[in-house]
Amino acid sequence: MTFEIDRRNLLQMLGLAAVSGSALSQASFAFAQETDSVTIGWPSDVPSWDPNLRFVPDAQPLFKMVFDQPLDQSPDLKLIPNLITKWELKSDGLSMPFEIRSDVKFHNGDPMTMEDFRYTFVERIKSGLKLDIANSWRTLTDIEILSPTSGVMKFSAPTPTAPQWLAFLGSYLVPKKYVESVGPEEFAKKPVGTGPYKLVDYQMNSRIVLERNDDYFGTKPKIKRVTIDIIKDPSARTAAIQSGQVDLTVNIPVREAERLGKTEGLTAEINPFTRLILLQMRNDMGFTDKAVRLAAHHAIDKAALSKAFYGGAAVPLSVPATPGTPGYLPDYKFAYDPELSKKLLADAGYTADKPATFKLAATNGQFPSDFDIARALVQMWQKVGLKVELEQIEYSKYFELNRGGKLPEATLYSFDNATGDPEIFSGYLMNPKMPFGAWKGQEIGDKILKLFVEPVYEKRIAGYKAVAQEAVETGANIPILQSVQTLVRKKNLNYVKYGNAWVLGSTMSWS
Amino acid sequence: MRMFATIAKLLVKRVLTAIPILLIVSALLFCILRILPVDPAAMSLPPNATVQEVEAMRAEMGLNLPLYQQYGIWLNKLFHGDIGRSIHFRQDVTSLIGSTLPATIELAVIAMGVATVFGLAGGLFLFYVRGTRAEAAMDFLSILLLSLPEFLWSLFLLLIFGVFFEVLPFTGRLSPGFERPVVTGFLLLDSLITGKIPTFLNALEHMILPCLALGIALSPSLMRVLRSSLLDAYQDDYIQQARLRGLSEKRILIRHGLKNAILPTLSLMGVQFGFLFGGTLLVEIIYSYPGMGNLMVDAIRNADLPIIQGAGLTYCIAVLVISIVVDSLYLILNPKLRVR
Repeated sequence: MTFEIDRRNLLQMLGLAAVSGSALSQASFAFAQETDSVTIGWPSDVPSWDPNLRFVPDAQPLFKMVFDQPLDQSPDLKLIPNLITKWELKSDGLSMPFEIRSDVKFHNGDPMTMEDFRYTFVERIKSGLKLDIANSWRTLTDIEILSPTSGVMKFSAPTPTAPQWLAFLGSYLVPKKYVESVGPEEFAKKPVGTGPYKLVDYQMNSRIVLERNDDYFGTKPKIKRVTIDIIKDPSARTAAIQSGQVDLTVNIPVREAERLGKTEGLTAEINPFTRLILLQMRNDMGFTDKAVRLAAHHAIDKAALSKAFYGGAAVPLSVPATPGTPGYLPDYKFAYDPELSKKLLADAGYTADKPATFKLAATNGQFPSDFDIARALVQMWQKVGLKVELEQIEYSKYFELNRGGKLPEATLYSFDNATGDPEIFSGYLMNPKMPFGAWKGQEIGDKILKLFVEPVYEKRIAGYKAVAQEAVETGANIPILQSVQTLVRKKNLNYVKYGNAWVLGSTMSWS
Repeated sequence: MRMFATIAKLLVKRVLTAIPILLIVSALLFCILRILPVDPAAMSLPPNATVQEVEAMRAEMGLNLPLYQQYGIWLNKLFHGDIGRSIHFRQDVTSLIGSTLPATIELAVIAMGVATVFGLAGGLFLFYVRGTRAEAAMDFLSILLLSLPEFLWSLFLLLIFGVFFEVLPFTGRLSPGFERPVVTGFLLLDSLITGKIPTFLNALEHMILPCLALGIALSPSLMRVLRSSLLDAYQDDYIQQARLRGLSEKRILIRHGLKNAILPTLSLMGVQFGFLFGGTLLVEIIYSYPGMGNLMVDAIRNADLPIIQGAGLTYCIAVLVISIVVDSLYLILNPKLRVR
């Protein structure tokens, strides 16, 4: 039996190939670069286009292009005016008079007013809509409108981080008139903000297309059209930037970023930002003894972890704050000293026959190299005589396990705080009433709770610095590294680098 | 006429059987997801929610009721077309599934088409070269194809055609700049309905790599089953009789051999299509394809139980529909089944 291709079959096949070839070439996709547009490969989508609805740190740069926050942050994370031009938190922390711009328009042409402020932060929350910002503005009782451009935020308890929260998760201004007329569902489908771009096309989990808002009150973006391709798989993001299908992408593996950085026409960066990698510690079970907690900390070679998993770019940390933020202690170093670890364990009565044991939980894939770091930690601890069992957990179960007191002694965790404020680092991580930290020790907890209502900025920052150091020295917290964001872009695409890893199309330009 | 009557009878029978199957699957899904150590109430609030707020949410969601009552409430809502509300997206699950399902159906149908073409052509070729050296080589090739899962094919094809040759797109359903018509949600169909031929071609281009990845991964088993079915069919007397009647080998193969050998292949295709429908998750993630697989990955990552339940039920319905279609095709292709 033979398989024959006769002349007629061959001609048929060639004909088909020619037809499909010509058809596809007509529809060919554009790799060519246009100077007034940019395509970004982004790893995640927005949960909804209602920006008050859910807190998702990775979605903030996307929201910031369509909506505005009352206050903004400069690239070095300082609070700067935006929709609000002046603000002053009163010395008791119970009220904050503020003034707004009078020249801001929403994308539908409606002017922004104090009514929109009151609606976003008070009325929407009180209406019973399930909005995540309801939790961040729990103490806000009202916004008193004094004039068309001035008002006062009133709080039921001192709220020292109110200004920070005006530039943080979920605090985006929405148009009262429009939302009330179309309803929240329709608003999420056709969002209207005051931001530098308008949303012109959106396909969930695939693509966001933004077009410049030519009536924008602030600096007008140089790029007219920003396309965001949602590419969740890091390998596909790597391929997309390498092939030129996107002009910029983030969060690809460090090794790939380093490789692509050497490719012609591309440049790569590994940027540390305001995200901590730390160990959430319990104060009971195998960690009841402070000596074991400290021995575990002294045994960690953070520089080696940074070199092995983040190309040396992740900064080893001694306190739960990132360099450059107000709560950071640049002169304080917690020593890597395995010999001291062994001594602490020996002094506490632990031997090779009777080793200190505990469990470590870690996610796998929640942040780059998380499970690899956990495995390396287990090896480091083994070297000093700590017997550690590693277990994998899902990030979505972290809060549930923590609430139920079911987390093990240590959990490898990543914590994002775009504001850089120490309340949202040390405060949230060690407040025993909040679900973030596993530490329930009352001594540190009481100090933290006092700082939550401390309205004097300098006193508050000094307090957090002291409590952060105390937490580390008592083994209540083991900060490990400052997390990094890898970013690869075309060499002639410029952007502004933010200390909190925001990547904004509105700051981009071609050269 | 008799054929249509038999098919209609089968349809009625299968739809009636499908109802208890769906009920059992829905109960299993509901119970399994409730046993998981995940608190939907806590998941639906931001992390800084207080314990009291979580408890209030739990009561509001009916999570403090006995499991059978929770299931009863859920089932009642299901009969009224309400699958629930997504915890993460805070949208109706029905609308989320409705907006992503057409993309997955489109992907699965075309991928099945690719698998069928490769599978049938490969199977016929394997049969043609039986007993020759080429058979061993083809055998080796089919095992090689079979041993690579679809996500590896996805990455491989993406690197070859997307990165190395830069000839095919691999993100999303359309290139930037193409208008996306929305009529039925099936992009290829919608672009044809609205007469947007460049959009149609561009969408088709975007489907080449994911469909090839899925199709290539499925085709080897079709090849092998077809080949062995043909070998079995050629042992039967009617093939010899056809040869004695002087029919050409090509005619014998198409009119007699293939017609009989196709039935087991069809059966396998039905099963594979069911798997394919539920197995697009990784391919959709790699190619940023906005289908139900992509949604499901989000749901799993966020422990979004209502979406997982809704998607699970949708997969179950899809598998039931596919099995009914395959059984109907069986009746059309095999007259012996109609007599019984």
